[in-house]
Amino acid sequence: MDGADGSQHFSDELPSREQSPSLLTIILDTNPAAWALIDSVLPISNAVANLLVFINAHLACNYTNQVAVIASHCDKAHWLYPTASVQKPRQERQHSSRDLSQDDDDDEVPTNRNKRVKLNVNGTSATQDGPTMSETESNKYRPYRLIEEELVRNLRSLTSSTSPATIQETSSTKVAGALTLALSYINRRSQEYQESSTGISASLADQAVATATDSSNSSSNVLQSRILIITLSPSTDLAHQYIPIMNSIFACQRLNIPIDVLQLPLLPSDPKQKHPEPVTTTTDISNTPTQTSTVFLQQASDATHGIFILAHLTPPPPQSSASTPDPPPTTRIATNSMLTYLLTSFLSAPSTRHHLITPTRIDVDFRAACFCHRNIIPTGYVCSICLSIFCDQSLEALDREGCLTCGTELSVRGQGVGSMGRTPVVVAAKKKKRKKGGVSGVGTPRAETPV
Amino acid sequence: MSRRRVDARDGADNDAAGDREDDARGQETNFEVTRTWDDLEEVDGNLAVTAISEAEKRRRLLKDTTPLQRGIIRHLILLLDMSDAMGEKDLRPTRFQVTLNFTIAFIREYFEQNPISQLGIIAMRNGVAEPISDMSGNPTEHIKAVSRQKAAEPHGQPSLENALDLARAALFHAPSHGTREILLVMGALHSVDPGDVHRTIDALVADKIHASVIGLAAQVAICHELVSKTNNGDTSGYNIIMHEGHLRELMMAVTTPPATLEQAKSASSLLMMGFPSRTVDTQPSLCACHSRPSREGYLCSRCGTKVCGLPSECPACSLTLILSTHLARSYHHLFPLVNWVEVPWSSANRSSECFACQRLFPEVPSREQWHDKDSHETSSSRYECTTCHSHFCIECDLFAHEVVHNCPGCQSGLATAGLMGEVEMEDGHLNGYDGNAMGVES
Repeated sequence: MDGADGSQHFSDELPSREQSPSLLTIILDTNPAAWALIDSVLPISNAVANLLVFINAHLACNYTNQVAVIASHCDKAHWLYPTASVQKPRQERQHSSRDLSQDDDDDEVPTNRNKRVKLNVNGTSATQDGPTMSETESNKYRPYRLIEEELVRNLRSLTSSTSPATIQETSSTKVAGALTLALSYINRRSQEYQESSTGISASLADQAVATATDSSNSSSNVLQSRILIITLSPSTDLAHQYIPIMNSIFACQRLNIPIDVLQLPLLPSDPKQKHPEPVTTTTDISNTPTQTSTVFLQQASDATHGIFILAHLTPPPPQSSASTPDPPPTTRIATNSMLTYLLTSFLSAPSTRHHLITPTRIDVDFRAACFCHRNIIPTGYVCSICLSIFCDQSLEALDREGCLTCGTELSVRGQGVGSMGRTPVVVAAKKKKRKKGGVSGVGTPRAETPV
Repeated sequence: MSRRRVDARDGADNDAAGDREDDARGQETNFEVTRTWDDLEEVDGNLAVTAISEAEKRRRLLKDTTPLQRGIIRHLILLLDMSDAMGEKDLRPTRFQVTLNFTIAFIREYFEQNPISQLGIIAMRNGVAEPISDMSGNPTEHIKAVSRQKAAEPHGQPSLENALDLARAALFHAPSHGTREILLVMGALHSVDPGDVHRTIDALVADKIHASVIGLAAQVAICHELVSKTNNGDTSGYNIIMHEGHLRELMMAVTTPPATLEQAKSASSLLMMGFPSRTVDTQPSLCACHSRPSREGYLCSRCGTKVCGLPSECPACSLTLILSTHLARSYHHLFPLVNWVEVPWSSANRSSECFACQRLFPEVPSREQWHDKDSHETSSSRYECTTCHSHFCIECDLFAHEVVHNCPGCQSGLATAGLMGEVEMEDGHLNGYDGNAMGVES
């Protein structure tokens, strides 16, 4: 009866048929040292252009999709899009506060809140840093243009404000900071979406629990978010940020946010290199390309059910036709490889991924590194107080000095199953009662001294 | 009734009993009286709700963040009351249903916060103790068992002695390097016991088991005694709920690893653990834990048997098998994030939006409006991290302290991070965790 009069249309859950909005957060590694190494194959300007095309594609998939971009620089993590004004350091702000209060009544001076991008109809830009592209691209779709302008402007100011000294100080990037910023932003957006759609303001963790226990699996009133990390820096430098990265990974796991990683290789990859076959025994890390890829980020995408791809940036083959001249070898750049990776693997929203076969790595190395020698060990000794891992080469030192991290006295020769190398206790032999003196009986045989 | 029995049995305890009586009376008169109607503010004829909700959120956050030594490897027995008293409807729909729902959330949270720990569940029903699920490290098993109980009705009388005896037996095999804990959720006001419950409590003390109790109705003397004896006189483990939200809060508070007391420090030992790596075969083989065929699994580092999930114990050689991420999950208890302080209006003009999420802050009003009529300073909605001095909104404050355990400002390079993530100011002053560097060459 319901089907005949069409009332089913109203009783069914409509939102489950529409695709819910998806928030894509991109963390772009802008370490200048690393980009300089890869400059011959993929300059950063091309990479940013590819990224913008990818962002446009993501926004085109669904009218309500959102995007955010964070730069993970060598010494800080910085918002690229969306940005409002930047927090000024303490001393400067106190001087300018008086000026602001005077300008409050003045409508013509755009305050910081209103200084978002104005429509540049006349070609006069609302912001004063550098020329904008508005004159030539007034026919571009407005949302795309806004994002492009803001992103490029912020990136330019970020790179121009970096001094060579800061680049030399460290060769890693602040991935942990960028992840934390991304998570805070996702938290804010999810709460706003939740409030606007259902009117209930619940914290993100509560929402995640609610969707986990919800059997009907309708995620229509929860914003689906994911994080995409585009990274270049070598892996060893991230060891300093181990705990903050782990904390971010666990937060993402809890909130069902997949972390996708696109790793651009620093050394130009050999196109003849075969893709590694799946290993059936324990991984030998000296041979596989995991040596150059980031172990933490691999673990991150594995733990959060994301996609990890180590890109092979092969330059396009030389054109041999007569119409286009042969480009000289030095200008061969892998213009479109990155875009291909982005569009084919990373464009799908989390809810769609259930229906796709996503590229996954099966040889993720989860073995721990010991804290004393940084060896990768299959079995280790863990301090029960501070949970630091030690290898068996340090057993002597541990017995002497206690735990190397927290200083607790450790009983290496402990009790129970955890005891190893324990010297057996020699039980004193029982002396049997002697009857009528002299005869030793069934006790321990005494060595008879030869008479 | 129980007090008189103590006096009769041990004359020397008379003074102690007397002290306890005074103590109990003193405690009764110390509870807080909340006059919620006084807390409301009016602004322009409308109720100001934001200030109250913010204060509420802040209250949840402020806890002690000194890095204490904590028991990370835990063995916890959850004792649930399933007697007639749990059929009361003061918590909707019944106390029983609410407790079971919160128990499921508790199980999830417990294994998230303590991945290498174990949990067992025992129920008190009809005067006997029924095991709901055995001690294990697998959350789905426990959740399934508890969900099955939802269909059953609470019935009969609770027996504290039987439940404590069963719990003690379950904890007998827990190794000494882990903690042994009991959490009792008690809705009834009495207990029917076959023997002497005090002897059971003494046996618990001898086995070094710590008990904490959440009462749903009122304080019961025997529970008070249980908590105080097993925790060396500290009765902070005994709490009575005020409302449903409070019950959830108290249960979730137990998921945080307990701080180790002075005497327990001597029992630390070095544990041998294996870190297997995942293998995928072309042909399926049986896993050793469930005898189920599968293509992928983890090989024990010592004996090579295949197990399907981690963390677990190798069925052949009893080696604990974990991933390094499981250990990393507990690090935030050992290196907690410092609390952020509220920013007064005088320094509030340094920021116009939250550093982490870019949410706009309310504008700084003129100086007269900085204090409201009671001369309390009104909230500027900005919260500052004492290390990196960046301002955050209340949502980011909650999020960073409860979910992420990282400060966005400190991680974004305004301060340099040490090897274990402890944060230093640029002038070398160490904030937060004050431990020795591990001396690792990276």
